[in-house]
Amino acid sequence: MHHALHIKNGIVIDPKNGVKAEKMDIFVKNGKIVEESELKGEDVKVIDATNKLVVAGGVDMHAHIAGSKMNTGRTMRPEEMRVVRNIANKFRAAIGRVLLTSPAIGYEYTKMGYTSVFEAAQPPIGALHTHEELDAIPMLDKAALPVFGNWHFVLKYVAEKEMEKLKAFIAWAIERTKGFGVKVVNPGGVEAWMYGGNVSSLDDQVPGFNVTPREIILSLIQATEELKLNHSVHLHCNRLGVPGNYETTIESIRLASKFSNDARQVLHVTHVQFNSYAGDSWRTVASGAEEIAKTVNAMDNVTIDMGQPIFGHATAMTGDAPFQFTLHRLTGSRWSNKDSEVEGGAGIVPIAYLPKNPVHALQWAIGMELGLLTDSDKVVLTTDYPNGGPFTEYPYIMAMLMSRKMREGELEKVSPFVQKASNLPAIDVEKTLEEVIHMTRSLPARILGLPNKGHLGIGADADIAIYDLDPLNVDTSNDFEKIYKTFKTAVYTIKDGIIVAKDGNLVEEYWGKTYWVDATGRVDLEAIKADLEDYFRYYSVELQNYGVEESWLKKPERIVI
Amino acid sequence: MIIIKPKAEFVVTVEAELTPDLAEKDIEEVKKFKVYYGKDLVELGELFEVVREGDDKKLVLEGDFSKVKWIGCRMAEGEIVVKGSVGANCGAYMAGGRIVIEGDADDWLGAEMKDGEITVMGNAGNLVGCAYYGNATGMNGGKITIEGNAGNYIGEKMAGGEIEIKGNAGDFIGTEMKGGVIKIHGSCGFVGGDMKAGEIRIGGDFELMPTFVKGEDGWSGDMNVKGEGVVKKL
Repeated sequence: MHHALHIKNGIVIDPKNGVKAEKMDIFVKNGKIVEESELKGEDVKVIDATNKLVVAGGVDMHAHIAGSKMNTGRTMRPEEMRVVRNIANKFRAAIGRVLLTSPAIGYEYTKMGYTSVFEAAQPPIGALHTHEELDAIPMLDKAALPVFGNWHFVLKYVAEKEMEKLKAFIAWAIERTKGFGVKVVNPGGVEAWMYGGNVSSLDDQVPGFNVTPREIILSLIQATEELKLNHSVHLHCNRLGVPGNYETTIESIRLASKFSNDARQVLHVTHVQFNSYAGDSWRTVASGAEEIAKTVNAMDNVTIDMGQPIFGHATAMTGDAPFQFTLHRLTGSRWSNKDSEVEGGAGIVPIAYLPKNPVHALQWAIGMELGLLTDSDKVVLTTDYPNGGPFTEYPYIMAMLMSRKMREGELEKVSPFVQKASNLPAIDVEKTLEEVIHMTRSLPARILGLPNKGHLGIGADADIAIYDLDPLNVDTSNDFEKIYKTFKTAVYTIKDGIIVAKDGNLVEEYWGKTYWVDATGRVDLEAIKADLEDYFRYYSVELQNYGVEESWLKKPERIVI
Repeated sequence: MIIIKPKAEFVVTVEAELTPDLAEKDIEEVKKFKVYYGKDLVELGELFEVVREGDDKKLVLEGDFSKVKWIGCRMAEGEIVVKGSVGANCGAYMAGGRIVIEGDADDWLGAEMKDGEITVMGNAGNLVGCAYYGNATGMNGGKITIEGNAGNYIGEKMAGGEIEIKGNAGDFIGTEMKGGVIKIHGSCGFVGGDMKAGEIRIGGDFELMPTFVKGEDGWSGDMNVKGEGVVKKL
């Protein structure tokens, strides 16, 4: 049941509304943040937040939490399933070391004060399964980004320069998959992988189509902007995980300079750590993070997220199948190839990041460099879960960004290769608490185009996290252990005005919304009807069976644009 | 010392992590120790008779324990003597102490064990000293001695310690082995697939993967994975 809440005496940090550690009260009614006057005559539950930090619930804009590759990862890694987190009783059983089961994902994010998480790569034909899995994740608000960069229709319309048809197709595909925006993974490269290859630059020809990755990215940005989708193009760059790839990344970022949008960026480049390598082999590899940070800082229409690796177990899984094959050859670890014959592709490889391994240590340092050197208004904190490591270690990244002293301690434990191959040891930037709150709440909400998320202004969703930390009396540079501990477990996590976790214990199981964007009203679907019918004649399912109906989702939230 | 005897023949398997630590507890407490009988969580005393004799850190298991799994799991010290056969996973993750089995052992004997000693007077099943599915490292310390024969997949992903089999063994011995020693006095099937390091010594006949290179007194490989394992005659 929805309670009216009065959160009393908390110290609020709300970067979107310019609230910098001010003592104030927050009022909640019917799942929204309201003025005090609205609570007259209500049965109000009072939460005493005296000297505690009150912020919006965390928003993770790039994690892999559902879909076919997640499940294949779980199948491939029985050893991950031996860690029991929660025995079924009042709540559902939750297991998993780093690769968690669906309930465990909902519960662990909630304990940490996160309330919204976006699945960042959904193979369109796997949309139904992805949504069924999202519907099995309790507590959180969710959405999924379908992958577009290697879809035959996209390649065809880009090659034919049919912008109206491309827009119609994007609107159709997002409606059919109940998706949220346009994700692009290694544009052209995954199509090339279907013939055993990859692309090596933005100007390589994609086999079978007269297009290049550059044209795909530019056309998708243009279509997304003309459709005015909530979220911009969400790009996983070409040449991921290859030494020397930082130049390709910079080239891709600069493609955004032709476009503008007053409300948000026009290009979000994701898990940039994996795309920030200088050098020409794994022997000469070095950090290209500084150059990338400079490029991003100089532009006003691009944002990035870190993709920070965490030492320990992880599972690499991306829609970038050729990269995963390379990683499998590099590490000798198990490998699975997925969805290669459909609109995308995917690969899964178990991995463990070891501090003494020079490459792993460098990857760790690059993630940090990106977080520190990029303007806090342009970089989001992520681990690209489960690629870089568990999302449960976000507090580690938060503390590291705020404390040079902590970084010095950590640098002593890692391979000395980092000293010469990266600038991390020399960086003395220390982000403020406010900046880190922005990087985990208001910024990702703005990037996704969700005006009711990530802040505590009147009318915002009542997604609130309260932490046992007095921001007026904490030295973030020196008290890094306290910062880490505090952000690991919220004192209260409130979702839509309902207290779902208290002191790390789950209080109530709650089902969040699934956002999806309906842009079909802005296009002429008739324009692509004949093409679709022609294509589906040879596809593995019939056109009328393709996609997901809104009524099949547990709690859909349609955003009409 | 505590003597444990089954009260009746078990219809389904029992999962009981019996370790010598039990011998330090009060007898009533031992009887309340929780075990699974099939899917039901029951008390040890419901399925077994429990008698104390002296107070050394030792368990004596009398009777047929071939349906009882996980005996000696994670034990670190003390002794277990089984006067009969045991079920699967006996001595798994063992870190010290001694297990003597007078009958036969089932699969997964000493899986992922770190240290200690296991002796089987009879035969053992498959997967002795292996890694559990998905894990990278099997047994990495301690010693397993089997007086009789053993099955397939002996010492898969083994990284240390010693397995000695006095009789014969099956196929796939020392697959993906990374260290340690396997001795087989009798004969066995295929040996050393994807072996990276360690030593396998065999008394009788065996089949070697074609990816091994013959040296002066044995073979080394597996070349397929640039391995430096050694296979020799005992």
